[in-house]
Amino acid sequence: MLDWLLSSRFETQVTAALWATAAAALTTVVSFFYTLGLRATTLIQAQRRARLVKRWRTIFALATISCNDAEHAPLPQFSRRERTDLLEEWNHAWTTVQGSAIDNLVTLGKRIGFLEIARRKLARHRLNAQLLGLQSLGHLRDRESWSAIEAHLSSENTALSVTAAAALMDIDAERAIGRLIPLIAERRDWPRTRVFNLLRIAGSELVSEPLARAIRSASSEDQAFLLRFAPLAKYAVMDAVAEELIRESNDAGVLSAALKQISGYGGVPRIAALTRHEAWFVRMEMAKVLGRIGQKEHLSLLRTLLKDREWWVRYRAARSIVKLPFLGPNALRRMRDCETDRYARDMFQQAMAEVGLE
Amino acid sequence: MSGYDWLVMAQWLFLAYFVGINLGYLLQNVLAAFGIRRYLQTADQFEAEGVFSALDIPISLIVPAYNESASIITSIRALLQLEYPDFELVVVNDGSSDDTLEKLTQAFNMQPFPEAYRTRIPCSKVRAIYRSTRYKNLRVIDKINGGSKADATNAGINACRYPLVCVVDADSILQTDSLRRVVRPFLENQTTVAVGGTVRIANGCTIRGGFLERVGLPRNPLALVQVVEYLRAFLFGRMGWSPINALLIVSGAFGVFHKETLVEAGGFDREAVGEDMEVIVRLHRLLREKGRPYRITFVPDPVCWTDAPEKLRDLKNQRIRWQHGLGQCLALNRSLLLNPRGGAVSWLAMPFYVFFELLGPIIEVMGYLFIFASWWFGWLAMPEVLIFLSLAIGLGVMLSSSAIMLEELSFHMYPRTRDLLLLYLVSIFENFGYRQLTAFWRLQGIFRWLRGGTHEWKTIARSVSVADD
Repeated sequence: MLDWLLSSRFETQVTAALWATAAAALTTVVSFFYTLGLRATTLIQAQRRARLVKRWRTIFALATISCNDAEHAPLPQFSRRERTDLLEEWNHAWTTVQGSAIDNLVTLGKRIGFLEIARRKLARHRLNAQLLGLQSLGHLRDRESWSAIEAHLSSENTALSVTAAAALMDIDAERAIGRLIPLIAERRDWPRTRVFNLLRIAGSELVSEPLARAIRSASSEDQAFLLRFAPLAKYAVMDAVAEELIRESNDAGVLSAALKQISGYGGVPRIAALTRHEAWFVRMEMAKVLGRIGQKEHLSLLRTLLKDREWWVRYRAARSIVKLPFLGPNALRRMRDCETDRYARDMFQQAMAEVGLE
Repeated sequence: MSGYDWLVMAQWLFLAYFVGINLGYLLQNVLAAFGIRRYLQTADQFEAEGVFSALDIPISLIVPAYNESASIITSIRALLQLEYPDFELVVVNDGSSDDTLEKLTQAFNMQPFPEAYRTRIPCSKVRAIYRSTRYKNLRVIDKINGGSKADATNAGINACRYPLVCVVDADSILQTDSLRRVVRPFLENQTTVAVGGTVRIANGCTIRGGFLERVGLPRNPLALVQVVEYLRAFLFGRMGWSPINALLIVSGAFGVFHKETLVEAGGFDREAVGEDMEVIVRLHRLLREKGRPYRITFVPDPVCWTDAPEKLRDLKNQRIRWQHGLGQCLALNRSLLLNPRGGAVSWLAMPFYVFFELLGPIIEVMGYLFIFASWWFGWLAMPEVLIFLSLAIGLGVMLSSSAIMLEELSFHMYPRTRDLLLLYLVSIFENFGYRQLTAFWRLQGIFRWLRGGTHEWKTIARSVSVADD
């Protein structure tokens, strides 16, 4: 074979092709056996986990019901290899219960030795280990690890920082909320649904004042962002903040977000000016607010917005008009029929159809 | 230069091409592996924890439908059950000649609705708009056929109310959490303007009520080969471009767009054969011209399942159309190639697509012809021919097997070990005839593009049963 190769006129090319083919074949064979190995490992791990879960799930379940079981039930042995799976199962059980059941699980977890295991995981450099450590220390309410957890708040890794935030909330929500709310505007990478849930669990009592302070001291861009979380705070507190912003701010994003939040029942500053605002989304929110207020004196403003050049402003104005409490179906039909602006009339027609009046 | 010199040069050219394109794909696989690993690490953070909030972005789903009478009801029923807090469904009946519209109006109690329809993107005439009295978030736009799916989609975009639009094929099979997964990039990064969802092969899977119940492999050999092909080229290939913001295509079967950006760009091109790729490349071009920060990204989770052709004729038409569309799209947006302000799109993605994806079939087919001609005329001995062929085939097998390995590392959608082994076997046999055939069809697609031919929106023979009960 080698003689043939050496006598080939294209020895270089053929050699190159041979080596490349050999490399490709080797890569293929390696990836094949690696994949099979992965599959085997996955199957073995799944079987091991199933056996572990079978042993421990009953213990977790009984512990959630009975404080006595949490404190005194005999515990099976588990190997080093099973630690991670067991800790994950315990964390999962923690997320499915509430109230005193959580306290019982925490007691059980500490008995099993999870504190030490979780602290060691947090100290490792592997992301998965750190995430599990953070989550576990939070669930175990380990105040001693507060500083170690807080250090991860500033991590560039989104998962690490938001998990650290959740852990601090689990340990001491009142202490954590003052630390976290100012961070929300900075950490735009934090999943909003996650942040929302953290604040929701904290409750409006804890959230309202820190959120109001954060909004008042934030930049315009951050104010608009933070206002999205206003539904989680006390309505009266947020209404006051929204009114201040509407009165003082000139930023369209802030105005729009504040108008979205304000109930309008306490009055809305700068009504007339805002219905003429250059940003269409401010005018649109104004149309919605006027609908919420539902006062006769604002009907003319709504009819002006109905003729706006932007579809969404016209739509919201129409929806607000058809829902005004002092206008019955016949009055609405007359208003529609008298409308000379074609676009306004079409939108009126659509809004009436949407509420079942046509 | 002597004949020998030309021969040597040709050999090096083909060697360089085969090694280059496969190394390029391998690099994409490596990038994809890192991207998927990072994605999976944070996936749990985005689980809704059973609670949705007002922070989720409402989505308009557009379903263009042309002669979908057999399956439209099941498809729409399934879409209405998607787990997402706020979405609307806009079905566009694009002048169907069958009873698609009648079935819709009957099944969902549709009534004519006086909507103030605004034509922000030109489309053919809308005859009527219907709204369901049973499902308030369901509307049907009935329009005159515009000759393309793009036209129907644009008509749907005009009627959409929400900031995000998701374009879904009428026969696409989604998972209940598909919208939650695909909206994630928009929540993570506010500059995101388009997100592609991973499309997998539905053939061989168990579908019930319009949803995927169990993943399986198809029995049909053609569909089976496409499972491997999709993993290699459409999953990991695209995932490789996403981290560097150089993704050039979002599948027409399932893609989500920021509506205002799409409208600003003019919607989908009604003349484009591959409108799904054309709109993405155009978005890259326009946004880079304007200097606006943006992201076009890809969600590696399997979120959409679709029919793969099981007949040679249908597959041939599909591949010719794809290549035709590719050529047309690259030509339309040629100013993006090697553009100083184009970033990775201009300097990596576009050249890759031009030299490997577009011109690749020419070189590939010529390469095979050259090898055989060389043997026929005695320039190359049979062992040499076999070595070169082994290289071409070996590189292809390596690439396909690396895609299967990545699949096992990431989503392991095929839990049965025998399915895994079958995929490996297919990855070998794929390179004995199938790849060569598709290269030849792609060559035909190039000729069609160069001739300026058109391609109609046709229905391919259905293989996966999602028929109405």
